[in-house]
Amino acid sequence: MGAALAGHLIFAALLFGGWELAVRFALVDASLLPPLPQVCAILWGFLHDGAFIGDLELTATEVAVAFLIAAPLAISSGFLLGERLHLAATFNPVVHLVLAVPQSIFLPVFILAFGIGFLEKVLFGITHAYFIILVNSFAAVTSIPPALVAAARVFGATRVQVYTRIYLPAMLPLILTGLRLGMILCIIGVLLAEMYASRRGIGRLIFGWGESYQIPELLAGILLVSILTIIVNEAMRLLELRVARFYRSAAGS
Amino acid sequence: MKARHIRTLLIAAAALAAWELIVRSGLVSPIILAAPSDVFLAAKKDGAVFLRAFLITVTEIGVAIVIAWTLGILFGLIVGSSYLVAAATAPVLSSIFAIPLIILYPLLMAWLGVGPLSKVVFGVLAGFFPIALTTIDGVRAVDRGYLTFARSIGATRLVTNTLIVFPLALPAIVAGLRIGTGLVVIGVIVTEMLASLGGLGYVISYHRSLFDTGHVYFGMALALLVALGVNAALTRLDRRIGHWRLRQHAECDS
Amino acid sequence: MPIIEVTGLAKDFRSGGAVVHALRDVTFSVDEGRFVTLVGPSGCGKSTLLAIMAGLTSATRGEARIEGTPITAPLPDKIGMVFQDPTLLPWKSALANVEFPLALRHVDATARRKRCTQLLDLVGLSEFADHYPHELSGGMRQRVAIARGLAQDPRLILMDEPFAALDEQIRTRMGHDLLEIWERTGKTIFFITHSLTEAIYLSDTVLVMSARPGSIIGTLTIDFPRPRDLDIIGSESFGRIRNRIWHLISEPQK
Repeated sequence: MGAALAGHLIFAALLFGGWELAVRFALVDASLLPPLPQVCAILWGFLHDGAFIGDLELTATEVAVAFLIAAPLAISSGFLLGERLHLAATFNPVVHLVLAVPQSIFLPVFILAFGIGFLEKVLFGITHAYFIILVNSFAAVTSIPPALVAAARVFGATRVQVYTRIYLPAMLPLILTGLRLGMILCIIGVLLAEMYASRRGIGRLIFGWGESYQIPELLAGILLVSILTIIVNEAMRLLELRVARFYRSAAGS
Repeated sequence: MKARHIRTLLIAAAALAAWELIVRSGLVSPIILAAPSDVFLAAKKDGAVFLRAFLITVTEIGVAIVIAWTLGILFGLIVGSSYLVAAATAPVLSSIFAIPLIILYPLLMAWLGVGPLSKVVFGVLAGFFPIALTTIDGVRAVDRGYLTFARSIGATRLVTNTLIVFPLALPAIVAGLRIGTGLVVIGVIVTEMLASLGGLGYVISYHRSLFDTGHVYFGMALALLVALGVNAALTRLDRRIGHWRLRQHAECDS
Repeated sequence: MPIIEVTGLAKDFRSGGAVVHALRDVTFSVDEGRFVTLVGPSGCGKSTLLAIMAGLTSATRGEARIEGTPITAPLPDKIGMVFQDPTLLPWKSALANVEFPLALRHVDATARRKRCTQLLDLVGLSEFADHYPHELSGGMRQRVAIARGLAQDPRLILMDEPFAALDEQIRTRMGHDLLEIWERTGKTIFFITHSLTEAIYLSDTVLVMSARPGSIIGTLTIDFPRPRDLDIIGSESFGRIRNRIWHLISEPQK
């Protein structure tokens, strides 16, 4: 929508314009806020720096692995709970309790149990993504009107057809939303774990720059991660919208 | 005491006993899982330290909540009162919400130090976006008919916004406060874990590095207490306001 | 003695790039103390006309006057409004809702309580003064809205299909009660409706509006003596008037 685009542009203008102005008029100490061009140059340099790319790849891999394990597990769990509602009655309170509890707090325990390597990061990411995707998948399954399924059966649809033609399209939008939120939480989890205790990874780099007052690098890192996560988020949101619109129009016919 | 309560207590006691056995028997390493007795000992030994840390954390959270609520709601009310401004601003807030705000903490650390200030500021940031977003949505969702009514009785813009729009949007706002406040609590505790001079997160981290698992678990229990306590308080608030939200939509044509 | 004079009113507005002519050369007047109804097909601009008369929107050409003064903005002490949706404030009691416009004007609390209690009595809800909107039926809520519309003692009451959301039996009852209220207060009422039956039963004069662009294509004086019984609805003369209006409305535009 036009307004959304305008809003983003205005915000970017205010943010970067304000940044430039603050630097130009020396409103802030130069060591606290280096000029934007300098930061951009450093960012650009990162993209050509082998070591940095290595760290970026590591973080991305941790996120991807965690997500690719959590997502199918969570969707099938949600599906199972949705189909067998008696199981849901037992597990739902547990799930809601877990969601009420901030999982990030358990990071020290993860480290005590699994160290500070790849495995710990992935496991931490999995726990973050799993529950939110589960909740959304469960909601997706239970949102299917039973009347719809009954109607399909009356028209002689087979089990497979019911699942693919009715369940899947009806569930897809909610599941996609859950996946997007799960991805965001997974990224947050992995980055946090890296910042807290890690040998490598983008989180480690960013935290290190903060500790050693390397502000230009720090800002460049923040900028890069922000851009990347916004891209991932918007891409997934577009997919959600596309699917929702497609199935809404299909449902109308 | 009701039979139901007695049963719950017995189950809890049995669970604790089982937990103790699991660790003592070596089934799970005491480094990973602290036995209840270890936790108890940690509490006895350093209770005062933990209490002080608890108070610091709770204070930081309290201050951050007050600021985040005020800024978030005011911002949401002002932005929400104009269709265009809301349409332009809400997507931006959503996008920012997608960024893992935790990466901003090192910047706050560098700018504001590792004391309570950086924690409070981060907490405010964490809570601001969801609160502002839900407030905007809540305000925009107010039936246009109420605005027309307000104009017809000659109410000023200010009166309309404070006496009519705000109460109508309140249920949605409170729902946002729940989410936002939860994020404030996590934000403060997590940043304390990352780098701090005091507070629960700091104490937990400190003992983790020494492998004092009993202390770690005790600290985490206190942190959970704070998180769940805040959540419970807000759920109560949500339910009370929600009550009359449900009534708002109750149709009873007789 | 005309209290309302509408002369050559026209209203155009833009919709998706094209210009829409909602009203075209609307001219009529309303005598003081009369009950006048406006009927017309859907989307013909009835509500737009009402909005202009209420001062909520401006005309493109022509003007509306009340007691000789042009209407350019809401005049809450002269013009009261009742909408299709009662738009009661859900957190206020019935009495508090009726008092609301007066409270905004800082009218003395005792005086306004007395006046509004009388108004609730007038609309037959004196026992429900302390009840909340969600405890009242749709018809009762609309009565509160009517009492609220009378709160500032305006000369003119504008009503935009106030009974459209009610089921038929309640609607008929409300119409009958509205006539009683009108006779006791002596206000001028300008009433919009889709229902020809309602229009004829209630009013002294029925204005018939054409399809868009709306203009007045007929003015019928209703002669039935007052107070009017619900029985007249089934009478032959009633049916004849109904047919006349129906033909006026359904005639193709030239």
